[in-house]
Amino acid sequence: MSERGPANTAATVPHTRNPLPALAVAALATAFLITLLLVESQVGIAALIAGAAIATIAAARQGLLTRITAGLATREDLLGALCVAGVLVVTVFFHEDHFVLLMVATLILFVVATLGLNIQFGYTGLINFAGSSFLGVGSYTAAVLTMHTALPHLLVLLMGGVMAAAIGSLLLLPVLRTRGHYSAVVTIAFALLFKTFLEVNDILGGPQGLAVAGMDLFGWSFNDNIVIGDDFELSFYANYVLLSLAILVVAFIFVRRLDRSWIGLNLDAVRLDETAAACFGLNILRWKITAFTLGNFLIGVAGALYGMMLGFIAPANFTFGDSLILVSIVLLGGLGNAWGLVVATAIVVIIPEKLQAIQEYRFLLYASMVILILLFRPQGLIPRPLRTYFPGFRTR
Amino acid sequence: MSGDAAPLLTARCLSKLFGGVVALDSLDLDVFGDDILGLIGPNGSGKTTFFNVVTGIYPASEGEIRFDGRDITNLSTQAIYRSGIARTFQRSRLSLPLSIFDNIMIGNHKRLNHGLWFNLVRRRAFQAELEENVATARELVRIFDAPLSERLLDPVGGIPMIDRRRVEICRSLISKPRLLLLDEPSAGMTGEETRLLMDDILEVKSRFRDLTIIIVEHEMGVIERITNRCVVLNFGQKIAEGTYREVAADRQVQEAYLGME
Amino acid sequence: MDVGLFAQYVMNGLMLGMMYALVAVGFTLFFGVLDVIKFSHGDVLTVGAFTALATYLGLSAAGVNSPVVQVLAIVIVAGCSMALLGALIARVLVLPLKNAPALNTLLITLMLGTVLRESVRLFYPEGANPKPFPSLLPSDALVLGNFNLRLDSVLMLAAGAAVIVGVQLLLNRTKLGLAIRAVAQDEETAKTMGINFTLVVLITFGIGSALAAIAGIMNGLYYNEINFGMGLLLGAIGFSAAIVGGLGNIYGAIIGGFLFAMLQTIGAVALPFASAYKDVFAFGAIILIMAWRPTGLIQEKISERV
Ligand SMILES: Nc1ncnc2c1ncn2[C@@H]1O[C@H](COP(=O)(O)OP(=O)(O)OP(=O)(O)O)[C@@H](O)[C@H]1O
Ligand SMILES: [Mg+2]
Repeated sequence: MSERGPANTAATVPHTRNPLPALAVAALATAFLITLLLVESQVGIAALIAGAAIATIAAARQGLLTRITAGLATREDLLGALCVAGVLVVTVFFHEDHFVLLMVATLILFVVATLGLNIQFGYTGLINFAGSSFLGVGSYTAAVLTMHTALPHLLVLLMGGVMAAAIGSLLLLPVLRTRGHYSAVVTIAFALLFKTFLEVNDILGGPQGLAVAGMDLFGWSFNDNIVIGDDFELSFYANYVLLSLAILVVAFIFVRRLDRSWIGLNLDAVRLDETAAACFGLNILRWKITAFTLGNFLIGVAGALYGMMLGFIAPANFTFGDSLILVSIVLLGGLGNAWGLVVATAIVVIIPEKLQAIQEYRFLLYASMVILILLFRPQGLIPRPLRTYFPGFRTR
Repeated sequence: MSGDAAPLLTARCLSKLFGGVVALDSLDLDVFGDDILGLIGPNGSGKTTFFNVVTGIYPASEGEIRFDGRDITNLSTQAIYRSGIARTFQRSRLSLPLSIFDNIMIGNHKRLNHGLWFNLVRRRAFQAELEENVATARELVRIFDAPLSERLLDPVGGIPMIDRRRVEICRSLISKPRLLLLDEPSAGMTGEETRLLMDDILEVKSRFRDLTIIIVEHEMGVIERITNRCVVLNFGQKIAEGTYREVAADRQVQEAYLGME
Repeated sequence: MDVGLFAQYVMNGLMLGMMYALVAVGFTLFFGVLDVIKFSHGDVLTVGAFTALATYLGLSAAGVNSPVVQVLAIVIVAGCSMALLGALIARVLVLPLKNAPALNTLLITLMLGTVLRESVRLFYPEGANPKPFPSLLPSDALVLGNFNLRLDSVLMLAAGAAVIVGVQLLLNRTKLGLAIRAVAQDEETAKTMGINFTLVVLITFGIGSALAAIAGIMNGLYYNEINFGMGLLLGAIGFSAAIVGGLGNIYGAIIGGFLFAMLQTIGAVALPFASAYKDVFAFGAIILIMAWRPTGLIQEKISERV
């Protein structure tokens, strides 16, 4: 899906279209990911993570990071394609490893969900502290629909999104009538309500939860291992990696195009100054509704597939703490920066899985991390660049 | 100038109360096409409130506003913008993290296509609309400052105050309004910068044939130079009206300003 | 329903209302001086309750067994340490973000709440499990039909009321209170009047947090159990109570607290079969209230200055 416009027009002059930065970054990231996933010793993992952190900080100090990101900005399509290739390489490399592939698929689905939060919070300034609850809405929808109906599973995914958007729209009235931090409180109340409701409710399995059928795509059953030839067998989680990757690609392109359009501009205007925006004809409600609904839809779709992949879901999967983690990812990545989200989600999902020592402390760690970020680097790890409507967009 | 033609904007018996504070008190005001009307008065006399009520930010407590023959009292801010009234703010309200171009485009809302399909899928068509708007924005900014028009992708947060004011005025002008409301455009600027900005405004006025401007200003030199008519407010009431010379000679006006000193 | 049972419910509702009101007054104080929402408030309450419990255990271990001394000691220790904690939070996290978007303050305090909550869970010995809280107040009861008027409840209500009245007097009758009200009115003017803005903010946060500690202790004494998550619910409800009363208005916060408790109690009486849904209703009510009266029942909406 190339966005390269006709060359030499006023708005898009081709300039540095050097593919090297994108190639280097993608190769490096893939190699690092594979090494990190391979190493078992806790000390080794800690050393790897520390090494990567130090290398990044050093690169930032040298001004290298800005140069690289500037180079990447003009080759986003290529970088995206290479990242997809990188995930495929990782999948093939760990083809028998259930644990790793489950983690990769989870990571991808969380990126989809945080992309949704990003539309709401990063672009529009509508903070949603119930991200995990909407993920839960998607999962529970998938559980109910796969158990009680014969709906094709692709439609089940869609319905997960639709249900999340629909339940979100129940919150719209209070969210829209209140400004800024008040509406945040509405979503906090909803997150607490949702989990309590699931726990006391018998129909949805109570605290024990519900079983969810595995994905079945036109007879391709996702819960069977993939066998190619005589002796090459892939973990069944590879199916989920592939499908979630496909969803991510669509969602990512969607969010990037949204950002690079008048709609993205409208959302920014609503976030930055409602009064001024209204004086220039922006219908504040329309854009808030659009952002909240689109965001919840994405989260719900991710949730539906997540539930099908886990096979069993319970209220404990969708706590307020998990919602806070999703918000932390958006803040960490750099509010409004879709690429930053990918990096941040990788950090937040993979590190505690690999470093068992911090698993128990993860809520504590992430919360402390967000506090530090808000105090010292409120723009996040990778600050959002200015809007360029097309790669290499110029006004001269 | 203000001959016998019907006024473009009229306020009749317009009042605005904030609790006990009477910010506008039965104000009658006419603005004619082609005017540069100076709206002056001591601090707190209701000038900004008048703009806020006209643009629909605050509902009027009483009275009527007509624009171009149509009753616009208490319409939404959006509807008023669409009818052709645009403004700047006393305390600059640009979106600092966005680029100059983005800020100007916010002002062009009514002329852009906001459909999901158009924006997300029909990228070629979108690009054509984008390029057209880049050209228009560049032309507009060039009236004010040629070098600035070459830096449309710079963040507004990084440019000097006078350029921010220019961008704010461009944001209001890009949609080709009939009436432009300028609220103390020279606030916080040096005398020289103020002079430059007033040159710009006069230039704009000569280029946009049927643009009418109401300007709030404390600098009397500015008022004298660029307005053709003035209205003086005090405690929300109109105390004088006429050319700058006429109102400057008015006893009541002098007292109102002296009372403030 | 017979009178005894009814009285029981009323008593229950009053206790709840008192706790909510104490929490809500804290929110209102913070909002008054700084226009911020400090969402760690509920978790400060939790830490206060656990501090009180630790103090009690320490005293028992040291052989101090007089309940009067114990009660006084836990209130003083927990109250003072939470006051310090509150002031510290204001100094380190809230004041530095004074000029950032209001949402950042909400976020940072919410995350701090998580840090506090998780710290209790992880670092308090077996903090993940509910902890028994001692009953230190005389539990004699006056039996009236089938209504037990328990002395401890009466004492707690009286103490809560005394605390709230004390805060009122402090605000309305002392120089400090005048300074707090001045800052709440208008920070700039207060500063030009020679008021030490930072100090007033710190003291206000200290007072509000001490109130949370007291609410936490009341909660422990009343239910004889505390757990690391208790503050989340109490914080959310206290906040809603403060909103219902119009943030920044102390009387409103108190009324809001009791109103909320009344609604909950009526809900429990009217829908006994749905008692499991008690908290679901509480949160639902919060959402409905925000939809119905986003800026509160009492305070009239002031339009933003443009
Ligand atoms: N949103 C508001 N809420 C309450 N009172 C307001 C509000 N906006 C304006 N006022 C009051 O209305 C009166 C008129 O204010 P306004 O801002 O219109 O004056 P102004 O003529 O623009 O003054 P300045 O020259 O200082 O800008 C003042 O007394 C002001 O305090
Ligand atoms: Mg003004």
